[in-house]
Amino acid sequence: METNNSEKSPKSRPVVVKRMPEHLNLVQARKFLKEIQPMLNSDRPQLVFDLSTVRQLDAAGVDMLLHCMSEAMKRDGDVKLAGLSAQAAVILEMTRTDRLFEIYETSTDAARSFSFFLPNTMRQTGTMPTQASPAQGAQQAA
Amino acid sequence: MDVRAILLVGAPVTEGERIADRPIATLDVLGRPVAYHLAEYLHASGVEQISTVASCERPTGFYRAADLGKTVNWIHSSEQELWRSCEHLFAEHAQDGAELLVVCRMGAYAELNLDALIQFHLDQQARITSVSDEEGPLGIFVISASRRNDAAFLFRRQLAEFRSAPAEFRFSGYVNRLKSAADLRRLTVDALYQRNAIKPVGKQVRPGVWVADGARIERGVRIVAPAFIGSRSKVRAAAVITRATALERHSQVDCGTVVEDSNILPFTYIGAGLDVSHAVVGEQRLAHLHRNVEVEVADPKLIATLSHSPSVRALKGMAALAKLVPAELVRGLFTRPRREQPVPEAIQEPAAAVDASAIPEEKRRKLVGSVSESATDFSSNLAVMRRYGNE
Repeated sequence: METNNSEKSPKSRPVVVKRMPEHLNLVQARKFLKEIQPMLNSDRPQLVFDLSTVRQLDAAGVDMLLHCMSEAMKRDGDVKLAGLSAQAAVILEMTRTDRLFEIYETSTDAARSFSFFLPNTMRQTGTMPTQASPAQGAQQAA
Repeated sequence: MDVRAILLVGAPVTEGERIADRPIATLDVLGRPVAYHLAEYLHASGVEQISTVASCERPTGFYRAADLGKTVNWIHSSEQELWRSCEHLFAEHAQDGAELLVVCRMGAYAELNLDALIQFHLDQQARITSVSDEEGPLGIFVISASRRNDAAFLFRRQLAEFRSAPAEFRFSGYVNRLKSAADLRRLTVDALYQRNAIKPVGKQVRPGVWVADGARIERGVRIVAPAFIGSRSKVRAAAVITRATALERHSQVDCGTVVEDSNILPFTYIGAGLDVSHAVVGEQRLAHLHRNVEVEVADPKLIATLSHSPSVRALKGMAALAKLVPAELVRGLFTRPRREQPVPEAIQEPAAAVDASAIPEEKRRKLVGSVSESATDFSSNLAVMRRYGNE
């Protein structure tokens, strides 16, 4: 599992990219949740879960993803998924949870998407991070 | 004329022809394994004795059509001995008085015009006739029983080489090469739309919906034709079976699950509230047709394999019931309904934009009281509706 906080400007909020374990069962899901709990507890968390290495995902893993999303949304943040492996994609589709998440091809795209909806004035004046800044961080993680 | 047939199932191949590590020919389609559908077709075309040489065991819990069972002889052989078994079987049939032998490697499911094929073989005075279509050979041969050496040569070369050039019979009827899960699915859809000779094993309860003996369909289930519900399978409440789905024998679909454009193989359990589409599911594996991937699902809450033994299944059902009743009792006694939980103070307070001091104290108390009272008016068991399709 890898973590990266991309902080380009003091005012920017970091996008955290986490690579998920290969087997996301009950034990691994709990372990993973414990790891990311501090990030979820932060103000407006922006998380990207990279599922490219996931080979086995079960109901507990899906439950954990939903828990993370609800926790993030409570704090006005969001959780996005990236690089879904075939196995993960099939399980998410089967459990009807694929429609609840924003899913991207790569973690770079997912990280970049967090800055898409910033007000134009903020982008132009540079008070907030540019579109590229979180993405660069994600690229470093990859 | 004494014509007999040998079906070869599970011959080693470089790729494909297997789902969940089982030869596709042994998987059920509309109530029977594909090999038996072909045997039935050959039987109807006038072949009296059909032997199946397979590298796997005869499918368990086999359907009760004893009439076909008598004519189909299942011979289990290891993969190494498969070709030798065929050779021996050919020799036995030849000694027993057979004149022609049709050898089909499954492989392909083809609805041959057997009369035309035999006539062609006789007209050509061929030792061996190989059947092919526009895509190439189908792995189907007609061999004169007197040509034992040619047959032995062919079996020893795993049907790939001939001792002398065979006659080529061009086939233009219904054929499915059964190389992948998508082919199995296509065979099922074609059968349900009656594009081939496969007949669902069951009673047509309404146009396009076949239900086999002992199938249990609970209230509120929506079945959209064409569909097949196999024998002793269970479809729980609020499930949706649609787009030419086939649930094979002893399969179970739990509450609220939508099964769309899929084959559910025998003894497969599909969990509650799932969405299974464009897939062949069985043996805890799911072959997704659109993604072209086969995935192992280890979680029994999602997909599980039921026991083939009826007593084990009954015991498991009883155990589940015995576990459920006390758990529900405890839950009913000690769990507070959600709506009885106190409403957060923030909700009870007037909005920040409203000047609270402007509201008279009496009216304010009434307002706050009505919020908390109305909140508890609702029972915790609110019905939840889910819209699907045009429902």
